[in-house]
Amino acid sequence: MPDQLINLTIDGAPVSVPPGTLVIEAAKQAGVLVPHYCYHPGLQVAGVCRMCLVEIEQAPKLQIACATTVTEGMVVKTQGPAAKSARQSVLEFLLINHPLDCPICDQAGECELQDFVFQEGRQGTRYGEYAKRFNPVEDFGPDVLYVPNRCILCTRCVRFMEDVAQEPVLNVSERGDRAFIGIHPEARLDHPWAGNVVDLCPVGSLLSKDFLHKARAWELDKTASICTGCSQGCNISLDTRDEVVVRVRPRPNLDVNRYFICDHGRMHYRWMNRGDRIEAPLIRRDGELQATDWDEAFDRVVGILRGAAEGRKAVALVSPGASSEALAEAKRLLSGFSWTGAFQVVMGEEAPLAGVPNLALRAERAPNATGAESLGYTRDYAAAIAAAKTAAVVLVLDDPDCAVETDGALLYLGTVLGSDAPCRRADVVLPIANVAEEEGTFVNRDGREQRYYQAKPAPGMAQPAAWVLGQLVDAMGLAGATR
Amino acid sequence: MTVLEDYLPIFTGKTLEELHTILARYPNKQAALLPTLWIAQRERGWISDRTMAEVAEVLGVTPAYVKGVVTFYTMYHQHPVGKNFVQVCTTSPCNIRGAEGVVKAFLEQTGAGDAGATSQDGKWTIVEVECLGACGFATPVLVNDDFLENVTPEKVPEIVKKYR
Amino acid sequence: MGFPHKPHPKETVVLSQYFGDADARTYKGWTKRGGYQALAQALKTDPVAVTDIVKESGLRGRGGAGFPTGLKWSFMPKEKKKAHYLCVNADESEPGTFKDREIMRWTPHALLEGTAIAAHAIRAEVVYIYIRGEFTEPWTIMEQALAEANAAGVFGTIKVYLHRGAGAYICGEETALMNSIEGKRGNPRIKPPFPAAAGLFGLPTTINNVETLAAVPHIITRGAAWYKSLCLSNPKSTGTKLFSVCGHVQRPGNYEVTLGFPLKDLIYDMCGGPPAGRTLKACIPGGSSVPILTREETEACLLDYEGVVERGSMLGSGGVIVFDDSADMVYQIMRLAKFYAHESCAQCTQCREGTAWTTKILERILAGQGKPKDLDLLLDLAENMTGKTICVLSDSCAAPVVSGIKKFRGEFEAYLAGKRQVVMV
Repeated sequence: MPDQLINLTIDGAPVSVPPGTLVIEAAKQAGVLVPHYCYHPGLQVAGVCRMCLVEIEQAPKLQIACATTVTEGMVVKTQGPAAKSARQSVLEFLLINHPLDCPICDQAGECELQDFVFQEGRQGTRYGEYAKRFNPVEDFGPDVLYVPNRCILCTRCVRFMEDVAQEPVLNVSERGDRAFIGIHPEARLDHPWAGNVVDLCPVGSLLSKDFLHKARAWELDKTASICTGCSQGCNISLDTRDEVVVRVRPRPNLDVNRYFICDHGRMHYRWMNRGDRIEAPLIRRDGELQATDWDEAFDRVVGILRGAAEGRKAVALVSPGASSEALAEAKRLLSGFSWTGAFQVVMGEEAPLAGVPNLALRAERAPNATGAESLGYTRDYAAAIAAAKTAAVVLVLDDPDCAVETDGALLYLGTVLGSDAPCRRADVVLPIANVAEEEGTFVNRDGREQRYYQAKPAPGMAQPAAWVLGQLVDAMGLAGATR
Repeated sequence: MTVLEDYLPIFTGKTLEELHTILARYPNKQAALLPTLWIAQRERGWISDRTMAEVAEVLGVTPAYVKGVVTFYTMYHQHPVGKNFVQVCTTSPCNIRGAEGVVKAFLEQTGAGDAGATSQDGKWTIVEVECLGACGFATPVLVNDDFLENVTPEKVPEIVKKYR
Repeated sequence: MGFPHKPHPKETVVLSQYFGDADARTYKGWTKRGGYQALAQALKTDPVAVTDIVKESGLRGRGGAGFPTGLKWSFMPKEKKKAHYLCVNADESEPGTFKDREIMRWTPHALLEGTAIAAHAIRAEVVYIYIRGEFTEPWTIMEQALAEANAAGVFGTIKVYLHRGAGAYICGEETALMNSIEGKRGNPRIKPPFPAAAGLFGLPTTINNVETLAAVPHIITRGAAWYKSLCLSNPKSTGTKLFSVCGHVQRPGNYEVTLGFPLKDLIYDMCGGPPAGRTLKACIPGGSSVPILTREETEACLLDYEGVVERGSMLGSGGVIVFDDSADMVYQIMRLAKFYAHESCAQCTQCREGTAWTTKILERILAGQGKPKDLDLLLDLAENMTGKTICVLSDSCAAPVVSGIKKFRGEFEAYLAGKRQVVMV
């Protein structure tokens, strides 16, 4: 903590902020959003859009709030006539060559150009000249398109690639009003974190091919979630339309992922919309798995567990993508047994974001391995698989490809069941919700517990695994058992 | 300008030595970009995307970065130009002394057609440029590296003859 | 080759004494003419004392801003913790200005000597002389002179390098120039930090114009009092200055006069006034970035920093552009706007879009398609382009437009009324 705060007034509201704070950030604390384009808290200051001009008492000219640091006793006015007119003129300048193709622009509805023009722009344009036009679309990389006609040259994308990703593949090309965002013909915008330029773009100039013309921004519901792509635990928003996840975007968390997510995480959502889901509890009847209701399924499980002699072996093979709540309940459910729990983590290549300390797409591609470990689950999956062979009860939690073989009873809680999956041999199959369909907690690699929320309903009768297991714990009278 | 030439590295032998001399002048390699591009343009006549990539490699920056810089400075040719690259100043002080007539004379005498285009024989590219910094000697003209002063439309045929 | 006119009797020849004298270009020739004595003297003097002499002399930056040179030097950190840089701004590209070019062509050693003294004063170990790419001849001469000076050990342990620009007016702006030396696009930087705190490569840097530095040796040898005595009007403007006169005058070229000299005498007596049979209409006294003066204002104008401001313009770089009654002011203002639109670095919105928009409106007016509202629109755009951007390129585009419309409104209105039209090519 800095020992002394700087006191200043913004639009009449007193605020106290640490020394070195930028006026634009101090204003946020006063509840004032100074309109801006080039400024982004996750990027180096450029001061080029000139949108955040404000009046500062005793300064001879308007100052940009994004590059001015606070001083004691400073009096900032964002709504004075000079500042408002300056910002209005910036908006007019930005619009003179803008195609105003909002009806077909993906950014419409979440476009800062729309927003600020709506807020303080001119009624009409005074521009009567021919408009500047570039080739309509450029292919920048695997998931990024550039529409130069919409570009306002805020350079956020260039600065992200240069200072944050530290792979400068974008540039400002040419100069004057001929300038545009360029890329060398031999280069591709394929950095593992490149997709952030789409989020950073304040207008519809950089577009995600994945999201192209998929939905209108105002049709989207946004739900706070945690990325399941790796153990970093990036905070994300799951954007859904008509109960389908259509987009993943970063949610700022300065301690975990700042403002960014990697492309792996960004694209790691389609499975959440799978249609081939288990929609009802299944029990083995006459050698076949047959659909039933929850009560019968629970009775069957309770019967299996009670039938298995106390003190015998039970094995839980779990997904490191299961919530901590579900993992805890699974452990509690098996608390009467000599218990082994294990998980396996898919490994991939680590891809750090160079400009942010401790932020990477982690090699461990699972969100809750740390949570599972802290509950006593081990990484010795092979040993657990071996133990399963002779166990009285084996519980498989959300691990559809688990190569389990057992002489005992097999319980499977999952979202999907492949036609030749080993879990087809289960005695009971219980349908559970996936991460987008439930609320829960993950513990990231640094031990940070983070909550995620339900973005869409689960299909059919599927329920969150924590609920299903909790019901079973209750039915077994184990509610008091410690985790 | 031929395909073959484009594939040969620029920075070998003497040119590489020259590059090392230049590198020694700056605290980092990136700072040597402008002089390195000058060498590349001298060797190649213009700066192609491939040349940018090569310059990027020797200086440890990305080709995209180099392209951003090349496109900022108007004296780097992003396209092949004629053997004689003629820059005529047409900014206001020269304009009032008849610079536009000089441009016209050059275009007519060389057969380059339009400003910025290269003549059919590949010998001439005539461009209008902004202030050459010799307003008192209107109209100044740069033919390649030769700075000519007080050029009038009448003097153009003689100049064209000399460089042809 | 040059324009070595004979000095006019009204000139005060200090910097331009050896213009046209090829022998003065060489190290030997220069020392024969008393060169490098000032350096020897300065090197025996404490850097702070050298700075104080320059401060006392009243020398102000000759690049355009007119900032006191000694004061600028004194901004360098007192306690030297990091390397210091000196940049020499030889990116002379302000339309109407061609004085630094002549200094480099004829007296390269004057610049090098001034550079060495400045480097001593600010305790710089590395100097970059940034010469605009188009100056091929000055480059060759400077290269030779530098080789000679190095051979003679002029700079001691100080390293001096030439850096060639590549066609960008904006690189004459000090922070853009530094970016250009660093191998970047010539984008001006936000200030603060100022160069003396974090300039070239993030280290303390001073940047001076060629003419400023060329004046320094004279101040050292002849003293601050002498330099201060060169003053015809306001005591805040001292010394001599080279004025580059171009446009509609009979004898264009560089003329060196003591500050405070009447602009009228410069144009009429020295340059012979407009060509026979024509009359003076307008004048831009300080390079294309400053407001245009009418004939009356021109004839009443005294050439010093304050005197030109008094008439509603600025001394700037001393590039005097003269227009006679044959000049079409609308067309000329369009040419100037086009220049700025061409040179805008593309960073700031107002400049990038405003310079281009202004040019398009002016072109349309010239083509006979002007509308009555256009003039108010131009003035409003100019207002929006002034004082709101990182550097002053945008303001520079606005200045001739605003002053042009105010002072030559009739010419604009003739176009708007359909009485005139230019076929644009």
